[in-house]
Amino acid sequence: MRRLLALYNIFTISTTLVYMMQNVEYHANAYIQWFWRVRDFSKVMQRRTLDLTKVAQLLRWTLIGGMASEFTVGILLIVFGVTTQNNILLGIGVGFIVLYPWIWAHLVLAPLMLGRYLIIRPQEAKLAEDATAVFGTHKGKRIAIVGSYGKTSMKEMLATVLGASLDVVATPGNMNVLSSHARFAKTLHGDEDVVIVEFGEGKPGDVASFSKVVQPTHAVITGLAPAHLDQYKTLEAAGSDIFSVTQFVSPEHIYVNVESNVIRDFMTEGLIEYNRDGVLGWRVESAKTDIYGTSFDLVRAGQTLKLRSSLLGLHQVGPLAVVAAIGLEFGLTPQQVEEGIAATRPFEHRMQPYQLAGAWIIDDTYNGNIEGVRAGTKLLADLEAKRKIYVTPGLVDQGDEVESIHGHMGELIAAANPNLVVLMQNSVTGYIQAGLVAAGYKGEVLVQVDPLDFYTHLDHFVAEGDVVLMQNDWTDNYA
Amino acid sequence: MKTIAVFFGGRSTEHDVSIITALTSVIKPLELTGKYNVVPVYITKDGRWYADEKLKDIHFYQNKDFASLLAKMKPVSLTLGDTLTLSVPTRLGRSDVAVDIAFPAMHGTYGEDGALMGLLDMANVPYVGCGLAAAAVAMDKVLAKNVAAENGIAVTKYVSFRREQIAENVSGVAEDVEQKLTYPLFVKPAHLGSSIGISRARDRRELENALEVAAHYDTLIIVEEAVRNLVEVTLPIFGSTANPTPALLEQPLTHSEDFFDFDTKYMHGGKKGKGGAKSGQSSASAQGYSQIPADLSPQLYEQAESLGLAVYRALGCDGIARVDMLIDSKSQQVYFNEINPLPGSLYAHNWAKAGVSKVELVEKLIGYALKRHTTRQQLATSFDTNFLQQF
Repeated sequence: MRRLLALYNIFTISTTLVYMMQNVEYHANAYIQWFWRVRDFSKVMQRRTLDLTKVAQLLRWTLIGGMASEFTVGILLIVFGVTTQNNILLGIGVGFIVLYPWIWAHLVLAPLMLGRYLIIRPQEAKLAEDATAVFGTHKGKRIAIVGSYGKTSMKEMLATVLGASLDVVATPGNMNVLSSHARFAKTLHGDEDVVIVEFGEGKPGDVASFSKVVQPTHAVITGLAPAHLDQYKTLEAAGSDIFSVTQFVSPEHIYVNVESNVIRDFMTEGLIEYNRDGVLGWRVESAKTDIYGTSFDLVRAGQTLKLRSSLLGLHQVGPLAVVAAIGLEFGLTPQQVEEGIAATRPFEHRMQPYQLAGAWIIDDTYNGNIEGVRAGTKLLADLEAKRKIYVTPGLVDQGDEVESIHGHMGELIAAANPNLVVLMQNSVTGYIQAGLVAAGYKGEVLVQVDPLDFYTHLDHFVAEGDVVLMQNDWTDNYA
Repeated sequence: MKTIAVFFGGRSTEHDVSIITALTSVIKPLELTGKYNVVPVYITKDGRWYADEKLKDIHFYQNKDFASLLAKMKPVSLTLGDTLTLSVPTRLGRSDVAVDIAFPAMHGTYGEDGALMGLLDMANVPYVGCGLAAAAVAMDKVLAKNVAAENGIAVTKYVSFRREQIAENVSGVAEDVEQKLTYPLFVKPAHLGSSIGISRARDRRELENALEVAAHYDTLIIVEEAVRNLVEVTLPIFGSTANPTPALLEQPLTHSEDFFDFDTKYMHGGKKGKGGAKSGQSSASAQGYSQIPADLSPQLYEQAESLGLAVYRALGCDGIARVDMLIDSKSQQVYFNEINPLPGSLYAHNWAKAGVSKVELVEKLIGYALKRHTTRQQLATSFDTNFLQQF
């Protein structure tokens, strides 16, 4: 009954459909794929509610009006069919009434597509044109942050360290696509020392198009891992897109994280490498990490920088080292760099530690790639704890690699040997479990049917001395 | 998937506390294990039994129309056979639910005091927590002190009276008390928990008043000598009688002249106490503001922990309990005060500090329940004779 009401109540289904469109940022393909995956529309809106923007209200009332009209026509056809004994009209009338949620779930795309082609695209083109002019005449250094993972962290680290001594601005939050770059350009004064722009690639050609607008003078390539493979199809395609930034920036101003081997296939002459061993002749020594942060020395030609950050995990050593090196290249003193690194803090939902019921929770729910899993599980293995718990729903957008990547994820989790692994019941759960079994994991595995219920009641699972690592969290459209 | 029935509410002054225990420390953790079908069995203040999914939601009880909402429900009925079966009302009639494990989450009379355990023993259902005998003794403060004293465990001086004695001649009872004990005194109903009906008496007038207050709640009243230089501590314990495991000694932060009464425990989040919190060491919980672990010397801590475990064993507790103790901080003497066979919210906040999560706690308690039940099933319950033929 609940499921039927969720589907046939015109107001409820309209809200649900617009929520689905809003959740996938009005991308028709993603919306339609999600729509046909849903078996119970009463369970779609789990994580949040519909944000009643003007577009959302317009679409919702379009749906309500359309469905109500179709329902009315259906009734009239049935009545007319019965009174005239016309079975065809009767059948069409019944069809109208039975099928109106499906019909309007698709028809609503028409105004959406029209709006996209007739209004939004021309607007974005104009915005991009204006932004290209703004960035082209900007006097400061423009740093592009590119990569499959670690972009927001790199942006925040650079902003924190350089910002202590220079006039630095950076794209806010997760605003990392063309339209948000364009809006960001409007806020610039033109005389900032450094402008940091995050490139959120999602499909082939994105990085090149962002580069044309932003015209970066420097770039940091934070890493390469399988991500957005539903669009890129292969890791090679993703790597090619990311490295297309090298066509716009001089090699001696491009810093590449070579922590993972896959990235080496894309390296070209002159690019600056960095990893947890060092960068630009600076050598990392005495690296240590615990729940309170990470510390290391950066040594070159008799000079030593003592660096200490609240960021967690040895995988942060390379990024912190390159940020320190860039700071020195940009004219900061060693003391300013040390103070800047000391001011870096874990970013929201990215290896962010907090205490709950006496346990340490490491919130890495914005992590969505296998390299992040590698870093997280290594950290979990290194930390001291009475009991270790690992929580994940798995990774999204892994394309044809979904089974092998999640199998590998299971192996990485097993290597950290947590006492308890909590998985969320979904399409990849079996692959992770298979990876755990293959790696000989002997601990407890708990599969949660209701992720939100689990996250809401996490305090029931933990006690003093526990360390819990939560990696990734699927939004409603992936559930 | 096994079915666990969680019993809560009941004809007790601690009815409301029981609802919180069931909802926060039992039902939700059990559900989060993903291993059990959890059936809430709510017993009203006048003794009607209900089983409905709505009873898992605290908002149901907080609703101003709670009584009328409840009136719309049909009560559940029980069948005792080789197990306990609940006949649960459904939209289309009734559905029989066989209970595999019972989880009493009741406090005070007609539940924690052994009454429910007797029913469950008759139904041959494994259940969590102390058995009938231990629960009955633990919930009788006089009997519990008698058993403890017989086992060489230190208790404060005490006397007890029937309600009728107080009703007939409260002055005579007070005079009797004054001949045997020294002020200040504590007067308590013998069978209630959560510090309900307890008063402190410093003179004759207060004593008579306290006796009358306690007699309002119970048929048996105990009067105890107060401990000087008082430090109160409490110790949650789980496990079998033979192998109990302590949590951490907890010290309610009340002024030495106060005591850990119902208001302090449940109504003010512990703010009534004037002791103040030491940063980083205290915790505000449903049971009030307290220090975990208690701020005692290692020797005194060990002494109190040993006494708590000795009481648990002496009373034959099995499953979970909480032992309250009184310490004279000058003489370093530890006294057994009382024992609670089903502590409010299972004292989950303390177990969490001891490294046991709520989910682990309920799973461990179920493990003990099943083990005890298996052991009891192996005992002979029949003895063949020709007695009937000779009759």
